[in-house]
Amino acid sequence: MKRFLMALALSASSWLAVADSGILVEDAWVREAPPSARMLAAYMIIRNSSDRDRVLVDVESPQFSHVMLHKSEVVDGVARMLHQDEILVPAQGSVVLEPGSYHLMMPAPETHLSAGDTVDFTLTFANGDNVQVQAEVRKKP
Amino acid sequence: MLLGIVLLGACSRPQAPELSQGTLLPSAKPLLEFELIDHQGRPFTPGNLQGRWSFAFFGYTHCPDVCPTSLSMLAQMQRKLEKDAALNTLPQLLFFSVDPQRDTPQLLAEFVPYFHSSVIGVTGDQQQILKLTRQLGILYAKAEGSGSEDYLVDHSAAIILFDPDGKLHALFGVPHDPTLIANDFMAIKHYYEELQ
Ligand SMILES: [Cu+2]
Repeated sequence: MKRFLMALALSASSWLAVADSGILVEDAWVREAPPSARMLAAYMIIRNSSDRDRVLVDVESPQFSHVMLHKSEVVDGVARMLHQDEILVPAQGSVVLEPGSYHLMMPAPETHLSAGDTVDFTLTFANGDNVQVQAEVRKKP
Repeated sequence: MLLGIVLLGACSRPQAPELSQGTLLPSAKPLLEFELIDHQGRPFTPGNLQGRWSFAFFGYTHCPDVCPTSLSMLAQMQRKLEKDAALNTLPQLLFFSVDPQRDTPQLLAEFVPYFHSSVIGVTGDQQQILKLTRQLGILYAKAEGSGSEDYLVDHSAAIILFDPDGKLHALFGVPHDPTLIANDFMAIKHYYEELQ
């Protein structure tokens, strides 16, 4: 029995080690939008405490048909949104998804999302790691 | 006596304000005709810019990042101005669509009041929008590589200020701060009134 528990503990800790990709997501939120809005945006801070660069390659959510990686930028006074195939989270560093910069963009769902609702995202990294994120819908400012 | 003359000199010639975000045009620019529609389906022409100050932003409702951020910023600025006792008339807040293909008056009517009840959405014929934007130096274009349905639109991020004569008076480039723009606006308005 003791041996069994020990094995269980070992397997549990090794499972944790695999799941612990060194990625930590903070302050994930979706901007509340007018009911007629066709597109929504989500923001978060992705931290990477590992010694290897991590590359975010895909995001999915059961609440949206698809989620796109985007970046807004202003060049010579003109604002544009650019599709991103991937977003780099540098080793021992972080990337900030925020208004006017990197963001997730998704078509608004049938049911309107209001401040206080939550949205679940699965972030997939190039090394195969998946990270679950729960984002809160917020009315800004 | 000498001091009196110096002070008099300073009073009779108002100084152009130092602005933190805005740029004043050397001389305000009158607008040529254009004919658009507001979100309640009423005509919107240069006449709608007469008689009060107007802030304008150019964007589109399918834009979830830059446009809501700018509209929220203008709404925040408006809430600051609402608290300013020295201001008896609030400026108009205008959201001009650069995507008339999708932005109908109905869609704008469900979109702009969310940010502030005073925001007026304006859309219309593509040629008429161009008539306005070309006069203002506002640029916009469908983004390259956009699909036929879910296209993106690149557009100038500047905020435009029209004076009560309906003339292009000042521009605000990015980034936009609601407090700084509210302060700049009060300074611009004060200077304008001194010159009247
Ligand atoms: Cu986007």
